[in-house]
Amino acid sequence: MNVKEMLKAHKLLKEYKYDLGKLDKGYTNRTLYVNLTDQRIESKPVTDLMKDKFIGGKGFGLWYLWNAVTPETKWSDPENEIVISSGPIGGITQYPGSGKSLVVTISPLTGMPIDSNVGGYFGPLLKFSGWDALEVQGKADKDVIIYIDGNEGIVRIEEAPLEAVDGHLLGEQLTEMYAESEADKRNISVVTAGTAAEHTLIGLLNFTFYDVRRKVPRLKQAGRGGIGTVFRDKHIKALVVKFKGVKGDLNHPADISQINKAGIKLHKEIHRLDHVQNRMRQIGTANIIEVMDEYDLLPTHNYKYGSHPDTYKIASDVFIKKYITQGMADGCWYGCSLSCAKAADNFKLKTGPYKGHCVTIDGPEYENAAGLGSNCGIFDPEYILEANFYCDTYAVDTISFGTITAFIMECYENGILDKEKTGGLELNFGNAEAALELLHQMSRGEGFGKIAGLGIRRMKKIFTEEYGADPDFLQDIGMEQKGLEFSEYLPKESLAQQGGYGLTNKGPQHDEAWLIFMDMVNNQIPTFEDKAEALHYFPMFRTWFGLNGLCKLPWNDIAPESNSTSDEPAKIPEHVQNYVDIFNGVTGKNIDKEELIRQSERVYNFQRVFNIRMGYGKRTHDKIPYRSVGPVTVEEYESRKDRYDQQLKELIGYDPEGKTTEQKMKILRKYREEQYEKLIDAVYMRRGWTMDGIPTIEKLSSLGMDLPEVVEVVRRHL
Amino acid sequence: MKLLEKNEAKCIACGRCEEICANAYFKQENREKSCIQISEKQGENKINVCNQCGVCIDICPVEALYRDKNDVVRVKKDICVGCFMCVGFCPEEAMRQHDDYIEPFKCIACGLCVRECPTEAIFIGNRETAAVLETIAETAVVEE
Amino acid sequence: MIKVNGRDSDWEENLTVEKLLQIKKYSYPKIIVKINGQLIDREHYTSTPIHDGDDVKVIHLLAGG
Repeated sequence: MNVKEMLKAHKLLKEYKYDLGKLDKGYTNRTLYVNLTDQRIESKPVTDLMKDKFIGGKGFGLWYLWNAVTPETKWSDPENEIVISSGPIGGITQYPGSGKSLVVTISPLTGMPIDSNVGGYFGPLLKFSGWDALEVQGKADKDVIIYIDGNEGIVRIEEAPLEAVDGHLLGEQLTEMYAESEADKRNISVVTAGTAAEHTLIGLLNFTFYDVRRKVPRLKQAGRGGIGTVFRDKHIKALVVKFKGVKGDLNHPADISQINKAGIKLHKEIHRLDHVQNRMRQIGTANIIEVMDEYDLLPTHNYKYGSHPDTYKIASDVFIKKYITQGMADGCWYGCSLSCAKAADNFKLKTGPYKGHCVTIDGPEYENAAGLGSNCGIFDPEYILEANFYCDTYAVDTISFGTITAFIMECYENGILDKEKTGGLELNFGNAEAALELLHQMSRGEGFGKIAGLGIRRMKKIFTEEYGADPDFLQDIGMEQKGLEFSEYLPKESLAQQGGYGLTNKGPQHDEAWLIFMDMVNNQIPTFEDKAEALHYFPMFRTWFGLNGLCKLPWNDIAPESNSTSDEPAKIPEHVQNYVDIFNGVTGKNIDKEELIRQSERVYNFQRVFNIRMGYGKRTHDKIPYRSVGPVTVEEYESRKDRYDQQLKELIGYDPEGKTTEQKMKILRKYREEQYEKLIDAVYMRRGWTMDGIPTIEKLSSLGMDLPEVVEVVRRHL
Repeated sequence: MKLLEKNEAKCIACGRCEEICANAYFKQENREKSCIQISEKQGENKINVCNQCGVCIDICPVEALYRDKNDVVRVKKDICVGCFMCVGFCPEEAMRQHDDYIEPFKCIACGLCVRECPTEAIFIGNRETAAVLETIAETAVVEE
Repeated sequence: MIKVNGRDSDWEENLTVEKLLQIKKYSYPKIIVKINGQLIDREHYTSTPIHDGDDVKVIHLLAGG
């Protein structure tokens, strides 16, 4: 079927015309509100309060969501929203990593706000079309597309019955449908989910950008927390934005010279140094696969271990040499010379509905190689690429899928699951074929795939109640917290990183803090106070990227020469100053690096209070499964016996001589769990929270975040 | 391949070429807006100008850089998004940027400066493209 | 005995920065090496000796994917 026929079948439900407006110092000062229940389209003002206290991006998303929901709102209720916003810096073309979109909704997995940071052109093109944010509420009866034409000033809601649902096809169809010519395709960005988002709670969103060399829309993912599930539940098939005329000054920055200067400086730095540092331009985040293995941090077999003899089979060089096309301009927004959005071209699929098709696969990211591969005991690069492709097009979060499958495999090997329960799938570690079939079942909404798609938290309950599994064991090995699956790093030997995962707002994702090297290898943060300081600074600093439409990678996946002589190399001080400069350059404000942290603290504390308002966000919700803290099983202990024995002696003063492994495990566990509790005490204190994890009113006032509705929530819990 | 060639030993750093270039491009005699840049380093005059190697062509995210019929590398301003990656990645540091403009600019070997140069320190060459690129590849810093 | 990142570590004859990195399996490319507070350039890793009693810092700059 061609796209003309598909377009002909569209039924216009609502058309809304708007003035194009003016972009000034990074803001359009308007939000596009769309209600799918009654097909209402409105322009809402972006207030000074929003700009002062929430900045943009996920700050705006959280604020709109707060106002849209009640403490009783479930993810599938019509009042739940999906909010997409870039941020004031978003859309500048001169500084690497400045085109991100932040997506916020109530998560089906956690029941509280989730935020996801995604590349592709949608956020910037939305802004250039006249909108700082897109706020979608309500539910459509039938599948719809929301189309925004940013040159004509038109928004349409159209029923769209014939297009595909899977991301790679839908992205292509809509790019073709709305582009006037090949050259026009780069002016279009599409947001899609995929078929598995209809049957699982781990659905993601794909954001496209058109690759002018490969001549294919590329897919970047807002992966975490099931936003795609909410999207399909609202019967949204896709969002499409079209804007022609991107230039470097569309944000109407206050001082473009500051932006040019910082941008060119960083381009030069990347040119000079990337090939001897992280090789982001060659292989992107996958550069650390073998590094993680060598430092015993690469999760293997459901986070039992941190390395595996077969890791060389999925090392970064394997992907570079055989699969990933080299020398392409792989930025997910203009001006990203770090260029980490790698792709394998002409990859022939071996399974599933697209078997035999030759496709372009976005990836593999490090998380995909680790989650799909090593964590499931699968050391096969072609499986990783194939599963990566299907996860994306079906709209399955690769991180959750990897961690879920690893959990299932451990349950299978322990006899909690068997062939009968899985409908014939032999889900042992290493079984790539069974893992792919599980993924295809998620797309079809069939069999054990449907159960797996509920996520680890719900599976633990089902396995306990229906299969008689030991709930304590499942609690120990199920790598989820707050309902969200862990991302792919082994935090056992880094207490700070246990906090980096456990003391997060949205759940155990490493985007708030990754402190393993600072803590475990560099020994830079030995005391609880040091760790607490790091667990204050880094989460706040990194939150800031999400307020401004920025990517984290150009901050520290490249470091200038000056860094080795700086006083705090882990912070990359020169790059922090770049961010201060480009923020001031765009907005005309005059912040310094301290105010940057305060901007984040406001939103961070707001999100914590939001969690509390939804019935979560307290100390009890910051507990983590013991698999992330220490050895759960005898085989884990014995695999690193020398290390653990030594710790018993040196840290606890316990003589391991002549003791059984079980005895030693018990002592070690008690110690490690106490350490985590002490860490929580220190971090809460540093963050200005009570020992139950509630931000104090004094803290909120000092930040200027003592809004009446915020204080009201907090007061009930103090 | 048409390109601006140089004989730095003859350069007297009078700056005339810079003025001519800036004037041709921007109607201003502002040397910072010249594609050719003259500087002095340890008593020697240096001429910095594009050698038409074309590394920037692959760096550009929107294919705004291309070779024209004379194999000269040129910028399509209408599709350029002003990211300045070409500026940062130019091996010769000869791709130019000025804050008054949102696109980069570069030497297109037009030859206007050549006519004004009092010492014949610069001249328009016409060499076989393949041979030039080979020489450049041999001397270029290996990246990636 | 030397200190590496504040922890005791065995010293051996003819120990260099390069050798220490191998022994410790410190393969990550983005690191800063200091001996007794003195920064060591990467090109000198093979030629720089580590003496008994030295305080070595091998600071890894990585903060996650």
